[in-house]
Amino acid sequence: MTVTTTTRVAARASHATKRYGTTNAGVTAIDDVDIEFADGGFTAIMGPSGSGKSTLMHCLAGLDTLTSGQAFIGDVDLGSLNDRELTLLRRERVGFVFQSFNLVPMLTALENITLPMTLASTKPDREWMDTVIDTVGIRDRLTHRPSELSGGQQQRVALARALANRPAIIFADEPTGNVDSRAGAEILGFLKQAARALGQTIVMVTHDPVAASYADTAVFLVDGRIVDVLPGPSAPAVLDHMKHLEG
Amino acid sequence: MLGICVKSVWSHKRRLVGAVLAVVFGVAFLSGTLLLGDTLSANFDSLFTQANGSTDVVVRSATKVSDAQGQSNRATVDASLIDQVQRVDGVAAVVPYIEGYGQLLGRNGDRIGGAGPPTRAANWVDVASLNPYHLVEGRAPAADDEVVINRGAAKTGNLQLGETTTLFTPQAMQVRIVGITAFGSADGFGPSTFTGLTLDAAQQHLTVNPDRLTELRVEAEPGVPPEELASRISSVLPSNVQAITGTQLAAENFAQIDSGFLGVVRNGLVAFAVIALLVAAFSIFNTFSILVTQRSREAALLRALGATRRQIITTSAVETLTVGVVGSAAGWVAGVGLAGLLKAVFDSFGFALPAGGLVFKPASTVLALVAGVVATVVAGVVPSVRGSRIPPVAALRDLEVEPPVVTRRRTLIGVAIVGLGAAAVIGAVAGAGGGLVALGAVACLIGAVVLGPVAARPATVVLGRPIALARGLTGDLARQNAMRHPRRTAATASALMVGVSVVALFTVFGDSLKASAAKGIDDTLTADVIVDTPGYGGQTGASGFGPELARAIAAVPGVHSATGVRGGNALIDGSTHAITVADPATLDDVLDLDVTHGDISALDASTIAVSDDTADANDWQPGSTVTITYPDGSTAPLTIAAAYDHRSIVGNYLLAPAAWTPHAVQAIDRQVLVKLDGGADATAVRSQLADLAKAFGNPRVQTLPEYRTSATEGVDTVLGLIYVMLALAILIALMSIANTLSLSIHERRRELGLLRAVGQTSRQARSMVRWESVIIATFGTLGGILLGTFLGWGLVEASSSGTITVFSVSPKQLVVFLVIGALAGTLAGIRPARRAARLDILAAIASE
Repeated sequence: MTVTTTTRVAARASHATKRYGTTNAGVTAIDDVDIEFADGGFTAIMGPSGSGKSTLMHCLAGLDTLTSGQAFIGDVDLGSLNDRELTLLRRERVGFVFQSFNLVPMLTALENITLPMTLASTKPDREWMDTVIDTVGIRDRLTHRPSELSGGQQQRVALARALANRPAIIFADEPTGNVDSRAGAEILGFLKQAARALGQTIVMVTHDPVAASYADTAVFLVDGRIVDVLPGPSAPAVLDHMKHLEG
Repeated sequence: MLGICVKSVWSHKRRLVGAVLAVVFGVAFLSGTLLLGDTLSANFDSLFTQANGSTDVVVRSATKVSDAQGQSNRATVDASLIDQVQRVDGVAAVVPYIEGYGQLLGRNGDRIGGAGPPTRAANWVDVASLNPYHLVEGRAPAADDEVVINRGAAKTGNLQLGETTTLFTPQAMQVRIVGITAFGSADGFGPSTFTGLTLDAAQQHLTVNPDRLTELRVEAEPGVPPEELASRISSVLPSNVQAITGTQLAAENFAQIDSGFLGVVRNGLVAFAVIALLVAAFSIFNTFSILVTQRSREAALLRALGATRRQIITTSAVETLTVGVVGSAAGWVAGVGLAGLLKAVFDSFGFALPAGGLVFKPASTVLALVAGVVATVVAGVVPSVRGSRIPPVAALRDLEVEPPVVTRRRTLIGVAIVGLGAAAVIGAVAGAGGGLVALGAVACLIGAVVLGPVAARPATVVLGRPIALARGLTGDLARQNAMRHPRRTAATASALMVGVSVVALFTVFGDSLKASAAKGIDDTLTADVIVDTPGYGGQTGASGFGPELARAIAAVPGVHSATGVRGGNALIDGSTHAITVADPATLDDVLDLDVTHGDISALDASTIAVSDDTADANDWQPGSTVTITYPDGSTAPLTIAAAYDHRSIVGNYLLAPAAWTPHAVQAIDRQVLVKLDGGADATAVRSQLADLAKAFGNPRVQTLPEYRTSATEGVDTVLGLIYVMLALAILIALMSIANTLSLSIHERRRELGLLRAVGQTSRQARSMVRWESVIIATFGTLGGILLGTFLGWGLVEASSSGTITVFSVSPKQLVVFLVIGALAGTLAGIRPARRAARLDILAAIASE
């Protein structure tokens, strides 16, 4: 099944397949997936655990390699890049938000936000930084270390970090998995706002129907295959879909 | 980026303490030993410069009969040369110099020195520039019974000006001390003693032939350069006599001691330091391996955010560099203190070394620092390079990053290296050459380290079983923990294994040396009582007796015969060899030489007996003729009249006094071997002999079993010194275990918290960690013992020297090591165990 839009494409996968282990005894995590993510869109990838949604995300983000098929960020075929080129691509064009925040503990919030630029030895754009920091609302916490921040605050710092170098695409892996529902709602609000107001392309992996309802499109993955696409998902509709899929 | 590096180092500073300490210890040992070596060299250099440097020219024999250290090792020269040299243009003064053995007795009747450093006597030279000693009290000797002695000897022997004492040359002479001398500003030439006599007394007592001199000392006229004078003198000398400047002589003497005794001490010390540094490198490698594993998530995150592999490695490199630089600098400072401590250790074992103020050489400082930094960076960067290969997604997924299973490739490579090493050692034993042992040892060591992880799992299963049985779940958990990361367990144990293997090697070697000495004595020595002076390590000392002691002993009722055994050096067919001289008529009473040809008792002035090995090596037959050059420089042909198999006491060449004494400078018996009449009471006669010998400087009088014990126990003294040298390496290895466990506990705090939450008492937690430490320590110790014993076997069996002939290993000793290793494991586990027990349960569970 394919998802096609007429707008520009931020990332896409074509016949993407990922197997672990040997061909016979191995597990196929994603199986011949074709998908496109429109520029400026906010897509939720849904699916039960073990459906391959995280693997798909890792392969699209250049963190993992496909067994066969192709993954693109913009026009760049990730399979054609070596380790160093992949690293530079991640640094310049991809942002990440992880379930477990993944902030560097010895750096302050601000240092964590500017980390991708530090690694690239480039200067952050002050104006953009201010916009990002204000969007996620952590200006009064910039000098704090991660251990001094609440879960929600840490995830907002992580979100700011993902936005900081204006990536072509942000991948968010269960961004609300480790925070309470109120903080979770805030984070999702920021993501939605980033997509709407800043035109940021976002791909979010989640199994939470409420989280998915913030997205423009929900894609359903079962056993490594895309089984359904739901434009403009609402929480009840998503829940209904999932029941249907699992039943 | 540098900012991140610095923060990273700072945030892990506590975890790095162990690694830094390992570097500090290793570098401290290395810089300390280098410093001590430099200091000793400089001191000897200045001693020799003082001794000879002010003399313009020395005229001496060109024939060198001995390579022995610090003795008159050249043939004598004829006194008639004095007139010849005197006539050379530019000569201001020529002084005859006769130097020889002169053993002083102290006020209490004991020998002053004599264990190793020379005890010299010579004619007192009153030309100041030709005599390194100068009077600080009293006057020069004027009568034949008057002497001056150096201040060091006076202090040691508690002798005062005007006092009378005994000087053995080796005949006893009663002398009155009329002067005290100093050597420059020092009390003497290092710890050696010096007695100055009148020329007449020196001619009577220090040489057999009064017309033969040790050397001539020449003073140049003002304005004549010594080099110029030396060449002028050379031109008038016969070809077997040479003239050299005092400066050259000093440099020659220094070079000799530097490549001999000093070189051995220095290289030995540095070898132990290198072992310590190697062990430290293992410890560092281990620490960084664990840190890399623990931080793989952090590294993966940085990689996901766009850090290149190089940036990750750079971070680690900066960290290791910091550890290396800080540790090496601190280690160098500690090394200064350690140098003093090492000297004290040597002193306490009876090796007096001259060491004034410490001498710092830039080259040694740089060497120690560079070695420390390089060892640290290499040991630290390898794990980080390995760590950077982990794909970021693997770390983000929380996978077990350290592969718990050992690869087949590792097993194959390890077995191959060990196999090659073992083959080399066995080949060496089979006669392929001793050099192969060293090569095999290195290969075995590397192979053992590679194979460590392969052996770790089965070994911990077996070693942990008794603990699991005795301690129930706690013991079982300890065993499981030790098995969990075979690579980590093996790497931790490797440090200890290296240290212990060297200990085991020396123990086996020492045991074999003892067994060989005992076998030599059992096979050869049939004397009932042995009289000698004690030297280093229980061996016979450098001091000795005149022939009158043997004569006096022979006259005691109950004594069947007394044979003086003399040692010396001579040239046989042009190369220097140790010679044993003993009376052939009574030799058979006290030694069983297992004569294979001819008759020892028939040895006379024109014959010599040699060992079978030497005869074989030189292709000599009975009746062959060899040319001997005696210490007085004269040359004579000797016919080989007898050959013998047992060479452990008399060595390879045996002469009769009839051949030796006329050409020896002094006749000194190093041992008197006594055979008692059948039925005589050995103990009773022994005490009688002890009373008799008291007048000869109170020597050691021992029955055969006593002698056997002291001769073999001497090895223990040397072993003790070696153990002290190795203690530091073992200490570093134990610190490495403690450090690894602490880091592991940090890593496992979640599950430790869980265990505590479900009811494990803090005492059980402590016990669990301690037992894990014991398992690791026992594993390392066992590996070291096996490796060291094997290499010791190779070394002993491949050795071609005559001193080590029997391989012997004391299983009791090795078991003791194993027990000590296990106990040390308990000690190493104390701190990590306490850390595990004090864990805040809630924080541990909550921690991510």
